[in-house]
Amino acid sequence: MLRSEHVMARLYRGKLVTHSLSPDDQRALDVAGELCDLYAEHVGLPRSQLERELAVREEGLGPGLDARRGFKIVRAFSKLLEERASWSAPTEADPYTLRTRIFELAASLPEPPAAEAGLLEAPTREDVLSQVAVETGVEDPAAYMYADRQGAQLLGDFDRPSPGELVRRYNVAQVQGVLYSAKDLVVDLGEGADARLVFHYVKLLGLIYDLEPLAHGHRIHLDGPLSIFGGTRKYGLRLAKFLPGLLMTSPWKLSANVEWRGRDTVLELDSKTSGLESHYLGPKDEREADDVREAFVRAWERTKDTGGWQLERGGDVLPFPRRKVALVPDFTLRHTGTGEVVQLEILGFWSERNLVERVALLREAEKQGHRLLVAASERLGASQEALSGAVEGGVVSFKERLSAKAVLAALP
Amino acid sequence: MIELFYEAGTLVATGASSGLPEPFVWDGRTRQWRAPASAYRETVLDLRAQGIPHEDRASAFEKIPLESRVAMEPRPYQKEALGAWRRDGLRGVVVLPTGAGKTAVAVSAMERVGRSTLVVVPTLALLKQWYSVLQDAFGGSVTIGLLGGGYHEITPITVTTYDSAYIHAERYGDRFALVVYDEVHHLPAPKNAIIPKMLLAPYALGLTATPERPDGGHDLLPDLAGPTVYRRSPEDLAGTYLAPFELIRIPIELTAQERFDYAQAEAVYRDFLEKHRLPMRSPEDWQRFIMVASTSHSGGREALLAARQRREIREGAMRKGATLETLLRRHWDDRIIVFAKSVDEVYALSRRFLIPGVTYETPARERKEILDRIREGRYRAVIASDVLNEGVDVPDAGVAVILAGSASRREYVQRLGRILRPREGKRAILYELVTTQTGEEFTARRRKEAFL
Repeated sequence: MLRSEHVMARLYRGKLVTHSLSPDDQRALDVAGELCDLYAEHVGLPRSQLERELAVREEGLGPGLDARRGFKIVRAFSKLLEERASWSAPTEADPYTLRTRIFELAASLPEPPAAEAGLLEAPTREDVLSQVAVETGVEDPAAYMYADRQGAQLLGDFDRPSPGELVRRYNVAQVQGVLYSAKDLVVDLGEGADARLVFHYVKLLGLIYDLEPLAHGHRIHLDGPLSIFGGTRKYGLRLAKFLPGLLMTSPWKLSANVEWRGRDTVLELDSKTSGLESHYLGPKDEREADDVREAFVRAWERTKDTGGWQLERGGDVLPFPRRKVALVPDFTLRHTGTGEVVQLEILGFWSERNLVERVALLREAEKQGHRLLVAASERLGASQEALSGAVEGGVVSFKERLSAKAVLAALP
Repeated sequence: MIELFYEAGTLVATGASSGLPEPFVWDGRTRQWRAPASAYRETVLDLRAQGIPHEDRASAFEKIPLESRVAMEPRPYQKEALGAWRRDGLRGVVVLPTGAGKTAVAVSAMERVGRSTLVVVPTLALLKQWYSVLQDAFGGSVTIGLLGGGYHEITPITVTTYDSAYIHAERYGDRFALVVYDEVHHLPAPKNAIIPKMLLAPYALGLTATPERPDGGHDLLPDLAGPTVYRRSPEDLAGTYLAPFELIRIPIELTAQERFDYAQAEAVYRDFLEKHRLPMRSPEDWQRFIMVASTSHSGGREALLAARQRREIREGAMRKGATLETLLRRHWDDRIIVFAKSVDEVYALSRRFLIPGVTYETPARERKEILDRIREGRYRAVIASDVLNEGVDVPDAGVAVILAGSASRREYVQRLGRILRPREGKRAILYELVTTQTGEEFTARRRKEAFL
């Protein structure tokens, strides 16, 4: 994420347009590549050295890239690269112990330690330092006495991106930067978008949502607890963190009310034209559960007789406003004859805490009249009994794979 | 029965048979009555007054016996300030000049309230300074927590910055009964003004020397921290309570070599400015210069180099270091604080003279240790950076040295002088080292000489 001073946007017909670089712009790619090289070359070297070098590059590369914005672009690039770097201490000796001993010794002298030995043989700076060197075994105590300063840290690890990756990350980061100043965010999720993923990030970031059904999809209004007392930018940072989550799915449209440089403006984007790509990996347990779901879909497709039941990817969102969450079942089963609808929720490899929350939601959904079928992995262990007690519609248990037959057997 | 809950900076009420009065609103998003957390005090007082049965599940304050270990003998005006604050319902702003002991007022207020307290300050230096004061006062019975500047430790007495409070108050806003806002004139800033809204704290104390804001934001203070309950100006307290001091300004002349190098760098730099008709009056002008110089093909690179060189000469003047050495020798027994211009200068001088440096980077515990040792006389001198912006307290130092590039503003020197605390029978001395014979003077002379 960028610092606010790196964020650039302009107003065009009352709407905000963030600065972006074309991933095909060779000059931008060259600059990005050069900065990546610079970071990679500085692995094992102190941060201050890298920063000096970066300042030089800023002056050298920036203006060639863009006369007005070049500096900021280069700075933004290095900020994004810094997020991929880790730092380590330059010495095993404890700098605090070193300097404290140095100061103590120097203060115990009858006058300030002299820079050079004189005729009066007053104690010198060198005397103090060599005594500390003897005591601690550190050869050059003056060099390491402030080794815990940030600038002295060594670049340990650097997760090097490709120039194209950096440029794409830059474009997303600029939009995120504008969202820091957003008071709210309205997302229209189209049909086929992964609502479950979207609500995962809503919950993770502690946002409050308001759900409205659309003809094709859902409208989600996002802000925070204090927002009803008048718009606040307080949740802007979270909305910014939410964005890459949204970018992992499509189709969507978004609009945000942004207080930009003292003016109320609007930012609008949609998945078709934004050209933005997420750098998030997605929730881990979801990725694991994905395999189970995919396998189930294949199994269902292979099944010849499904008794009139049709399998649809979960598109229904069951809101639970007071809990600030929404349940997005994995699949919807619809009977072609009777029109009956049953939601199917697959519990894969969940942590205990997740499971408890999930069960509470399922119970509430049933209370609201939804028909739910829960498929639970036997790997969930002891919580099985609790689970079947909680969910009246019954639990279909499975080992590695959920079979279509087992689900059909449990349907009414 | 009405139940009150704290939820992410807001107060939620359930079980009300009818609608709730302002500032509660019906939150359709979550189907609850919701108010800003700051409504807590009025809400509870109202419910009690009307005898409405209710359960307070919102507050998580702790009652803690707070008794300062440090004898403070409050000065009469500090006692008056505390009295006025109590009469106003333990809520309000106290205005006292710099150096008048505002922290002592806060410590007494905390003793009086005897409940968990959050202290909000504008800078990391002040965060560390308050940590040190509170550690001295209450450290025996309570752990002092820090939130901000890399610290995230919440305890019944926690010090935080406005920036961190803005981000985190919603997580901890139920834990504190008293909130102390240091330099409370920062509170009405648009971002900060939301902090009190997220806190249940029924008691608040604001401290400042100058509540007035050019944007008129001080009108919001009564709502955010309470009315001004007590006010004294520097004139009210001058002489009796604030230490007087002697100012000695030492001009630092560049050496012949430095002067020569400086004049050369200056000429290159000025020529470039003139050629491109660049003014140099503000930081934006500087940005513009950098941009023009780095895109220009003829002489841009040289101009940038010259600009850097001339700054380095001015800041690193050889005689400045030597003069500082002399002053350290002269006052080695008097406790000296040196104010440097930049963080890097602090560390360079610390390495050179082997005396401790204090900057915003210094960890809270180490900073306290250094200042304690100065007080005890175990250290003789300390070098600090950017002190006044941070309102740092100087521990019983009688001599200060300001290493300025050019002459400082008068108010700045005045304020610095006022925080000195000489020992009995001694007068505080403030030295200011000013580099002369640089800048305009030289350009002017060079132009004249060009005709010879």
